[in-house]
Amino acid sequence: MNRRDLLIGGGLAALGTLVPATARAAAAVAAKPDWTLGVTDVLGDIAPRSLKRIHGRAPDLRGTLYRNGPARFRRGDSASGHWFDGDGLVRAWQVRGNEARLAARFVDTPKRRLEERLGRIVQPGFGTLEQPGAIVGSSDDTNAANTHVIKAGNRLLALWEAGSATAMDPGTLDTIGQVTFRDDLKHMPFLAHPRIEPDGRIWNIGSGGAAVYVWRLSKDGAFEAGEAVKLPMASYIHDFTATARHLVILCQPWIAGAMKLPFSKSLTWQPELGSKVLVLDKDDLSKRRVYDLPPLSFFHLGDAWEEKDGTIRFDGCFHKDVTFAVEGAPGLVEGRYVHVERPELNLVALHPDGRATLTPAGITAEFPRSAPELAGLPRTATVHVGGYTGTRPFARSVGSWDWVRGRHDSFDFGARHLVEEFVPAGAHHLIGTTLNLDAKATELHLFDARRIADGPVTSWRSDVALPVSFHGSWVTA
Amino acid sequence: MKALYLAATLALATAGNGIAWASAPAATPAASGAMLTVTFEQIEMPEGQILLSLYDNEAAHDANGKPVRGAMAKVEGQTVSVRFEGLAPGRYAIKAFHDVDGDGKMKTNPFGMPLEPFAFSNNAKPMGGPARWEAASFDVPAGASETRIAIQ
Repeated sequence: MNRRDLLIGGGLAALGTLVPATARAAAAVAAKPDWTLGVTDVLGDIAPRSLKRIHGRAPDLRGTLYRNGPARFRRGDSASGHWFDGDGLVRAWQVRGNEARLAARFVDTPKRRLEERLGRIVQPGFGTLEQPGAIVGSSDDTNAANTHVIKAGNRLLALWEAGSATAMDPGTLDTIGQVTFRDDLKHMPFLAHPRIEPDGRIWNIGSGGAAVYVWRLSKDGAFEAGEAVKLPMASYIHDFTATARHLVILCQPWIAGAMKLPFSKSLTWQPELGSKVLVLDKDDLSKRRVYDLPPLSFFHLGDAWEEKDGTIRFDGCFHKDVTFAVEGAPGLVEGRYVHVERPELNLVALHPDGRATLTPAGITAEFPRSAPELAGLPRTATVHVGGYTGTRPFARSVGSWDWVRGRHDSFDFGARHLVEEFVPAGAHHLIGTTLNLDAKATELHLFDARRIADGPVTSWRSDVALPVSFHGSWVTA
Repeated sequence: MKALYLAATLALATAGNGIAWASAPAATPAASGAMLTVTFEQIEMPEGQILLSLYDNEAAHDANGKPVRGAMAKVEGQTVSVRFEGLAPGRYAIKAFHDVDGDGKMKTNPFGMPLEPFAFSNNAKPMGGPARWEAASFDVPAGASETRIAIQ
């Protein structure tokens, strides 16, 4: 036994008994890598506050960037088992020219209410096992309402994927409650990625194993029509896409089998099945085509469009397999970086002759977004985050990829920013947030969409560090 | 999580499997064996009927098999009772749902998820599916006994 072994085996163990537990806990916290600020807990609502402008002068832009993401992972000695299972915190980043403000409130879900009362995380989730005290009458009892937020009519919808949307007041962020679009559709799943036509009509699907329920809502968020449609295979579905005339449902070979808890254990990766793309006619859901693609794993797709010859194109951020979902994301909550994300931006083409092809852009990218006024229509640019370097989790750059010119315009915030999704704000700007690890504060950044590499036009800094969020919407004032 | 509610539904939608609900319960010889009164309470909507299945073994209960008895009770207030006579003393468990619209079926959404109140004996909680025998079963001794179930 050498000296080092002795120190570790005997010295440190003995020392441990001499150090008070609180000091040891503090040391353990201090030893965590600083990116874990991106999965920190927010203990309560964030009261409205002004932001400090730290750079540039803003154009005359007025609106609110609503964003949603998990922000409570731990209670006492209990913890969520997965990044996707924290309580949804809806943030309102309000911009009026140079002035910007922040307010944020948790979505008041049955899950959160129960766990606040118990002081423990008990409800099961995507990757969280249920604990004593759990109450699961329906999937909505486990609804974390933590994935996306859109405005529909005069209310916000905080979205999850395996249950109902939750309505909120856009001004106060008061939770109104889980939405039942029609009496017999209570608790039906409503994915976090509705596709919104330029005139505001909302299409969505809800995933139920080998079938999906197709939702059509008016621009005010009222139920118009719905129908169950069979899938080529019982794929896990987080996102789908749409052209002006079609719904496009990419089915990955991550297949739901017998129910197990947590839910992720019900899914098995079966690459031998390949991937399938189901294309439905919006006007007649019985008109369907199926295309074959190689096995790929994904969470997010870009808007789709159809070309004159009938070719349908859409982009997606494709992983080789499900390691990030199964091992990477649970590790994040524990402060472990166990999986290097390499989401690769690809363009899928569904040709009139029945072939489907993939074209890689050659960059890593996630959270693809494009101009809402072009949703479902031909476009060239895809806004995304990227710069996944493998040295720590989360993105570090924002960019726009031009599929026609093959040109990449991007800005690297550097290793000290955890970069969240950016979205178009008006015709010429992008808006989004980063968590600045040095300032220990979340920042709001506005870019000129035509000159991203120049860096932010304007940046504001808040006085709080909010955990990394998922998706959001720019709503003009 | 989609599978959560699929599983939760399976056994509930068919509570009373194999029972002809419209017919009156068969007369059973009174004063032999055990007599169990099941009282449902905290009923939120005073309308429709409660349909329940009584199981006397774990295998049938947990596999959604055939119950030993079934019953129907018209709901007119916050509580209603059902009496089973002539039971063999032993262990039993109950699955019930409140057929609020009175159509004899558990109302479900298009994915088969229950949309009417349901409950299990011992007020056992559903855990990603119907409560299991282990949590829902209780002793029925010889003579008269009662169990109470909150159905919400």
